Amino acid sequence: MNGPEQWLNDWRKAGALSLSRHDPAKEGITVSAFLPAAALISSAEKLGQAGYTLLDISALEALEGLVVTYHFDSFKEPGRLALRVLVSPRKPALPSLYSVFQGAEWHEREAADFFGLVFENNPNLIPLLLPDDLPGPPPLRKKNGALSPISKLGLLGQAEIIDPGFGAACGLGE
Amino acid sequence: MTGCFNFINPLAVTEEPGTTAGDFYTRNFEKKAVPGRIILNLGPQHPSTHGVLRILCEMDGEYIVRCEPVLGYLHRMHEKMGEVKTPWQFIPNMGRVDYLHPLAWTWAFVGACERLAGIEIPERAEYLRVISCELNRISSHLLWWGAFVMDLGGVTPILYAFEEREKINDILQIITGSRLTMSSFRFGGVCTDADERFKSLAKEFIPYLRERLKMYKGLVTDNIILRRRLEGIGPMDADICRRYGATGPILRAAGLARDTRKDFPYSVYHKFDFPVPAGPANDCFGRYLVRLSEIEASLMIVEQALASLPEGSHIMEKAPKANWKLPAGESYMAVEGARGQVAVHVVSDGGPKPYRVKLRAPGFSNLSLFAEAAAGTLLADAIAILGSLDLVIPEVDR
Repeated sequence: MNGPEQWLNDWRKAGALSLSRHDPAKEGITVSAFLPAAALISSAEKLGQAGYTLLDISALEALEGLVVTYHFDSFKEPGRLALRVLVSPRKPALPSLYSVFQGAEWHEREAADFFGLVFENNPNLIPLLLPDDLPGPPPLRKKNGALSPISKLGLLGQAEIIDPGFGAACGLGE
Repeated sequence: MTGCFNFINPLAVTEEPGTTAGDFYTRNFEKKAVPGRIILNLGPQHPSTHGVLRILCEMDGEYIVRCEPVLGYLHRMHEKMGEVKTPWQFIPNMGRVDYLHPLAWTWAFVGACERLAGIEIPERAEYLRVISCELNRISSHLLWWGAFVMDLGGVTPILYAFEEREKINDILQIITGSRLTMSSFRFGGVCTDADERFKSLAKEFIPYLRERLKMYKGLVTDNIILRRRLEGIGPMDADICRRYGATGPILRAAGLARDTRKDFPYSVYHKFDFPVPAGPANDCFGRYLVRLSEIEASLMIVEQALASLPEGSHIMEKAPKANWKLPAGESYMAVEGARGQVAVHVVSDGGPKPYRVKLRAPGFSNLSLFAEAAAGTLLADAIAILGSLDLVIPEVDR
């Protein structure tokens, strides 16, 4: 059974851009990581094999781009953790987790409705909650002036930045 | 009943372009259908869909080959409203997400904000939250019980359930001020203190409901017709729950005693002795039994909390008000709702309004496994499976 520290190690090997420790009493999660989109499925597979379930997908638009947060919890040994992917708003595509967690289909469709995200290989990426003919930009995308940087939103917790490019993009040093 | 169904026979569809029957979702669903099979729209105004859920079914005779829920008929975009109101102004929204267990949602949102801001509330307020949230859970389960049995054709029990529910509403009205969209929790406590009338009515209610539960067992639970409709129908094991993120009574009926009140302790639940019913079967009847046992567990909690209700204030001094700002940061708070793990993810940049409010509805995940669970079952059994999920559509759609 992996503890939070082993997951951090796992994600480091998977090529994480940053690793974070959180205060569970305040933030509700133990550890989190920003992963490159390419490492998402394999990391989710490991969580699935260890008995974790996908609780939800909580996306938001920050100054650096769209942050897609996947919350996981274990049925064997409760303890929430999060994987995050930073996606460019101009090309908001990332892989679907449907093959690992079938429940991801709906969470992804919801995030697609609200943020215009495209989940590749989602089996049925049609509108879920919003009408199929809704005009205008996705409703939870923010106006340019209203964007805040990731570091200010506290998503990094106590972070260890691994990828210098990612750190620079988030306005953080090594 | 037939009048509620909307039959679309693909064979009757004309070939002329632009005149295809059905809407966007039907046409999308039809693409994968075997020609000649009937596509059946169950809902969105069907009584057994509890609100306005629509399910597209591909039928082979009486059997569902494939189905797909269509959501959004009760979507109100609470998450957007969370970004345009101050946190304090957003509290009443939480009473409207799930109208059967509104206090669980209020708690998740208020709790997430309090944790982010490091607010500790008076102990009396914690107790009042526990008492009101548990009474609310009982009323939610009672309504589910009545409606579920009604789905199966037994019309009488819901009238009994509503009698109990009225009593709970009378009690909760004293401290929440409402009978349906209760949202009485405030940052730093609760809006109204409990008076003697509340305490005596709540104390009287516990033995009363225990007696009634015995009657429920004799009248409904042990009824052979009910059992034949439920036993062995719609098995859902721990693996399907994990793959879809199903929580609450569905997961517990699958044999896993997972309960947010024990797993991620919040408030004063650790002070009370109460069981987490799990099993004995993962079919529709197992889920039925788990919910009835949970009513008894909630009664135990209310009884203990009333007996040890501490003195003090029901809200902290200088509690946050309408213009209160959340500090920057994120918080994810989960509570055990009647339908499973209710969670609110609040992200703030320190501004007057939350940067992002994400609502995790247990019903959303629980319903998402329906398509897999209902494939290959009789239509009548699918109605039993749907009812056993205890759906509240405004919560699913948010």
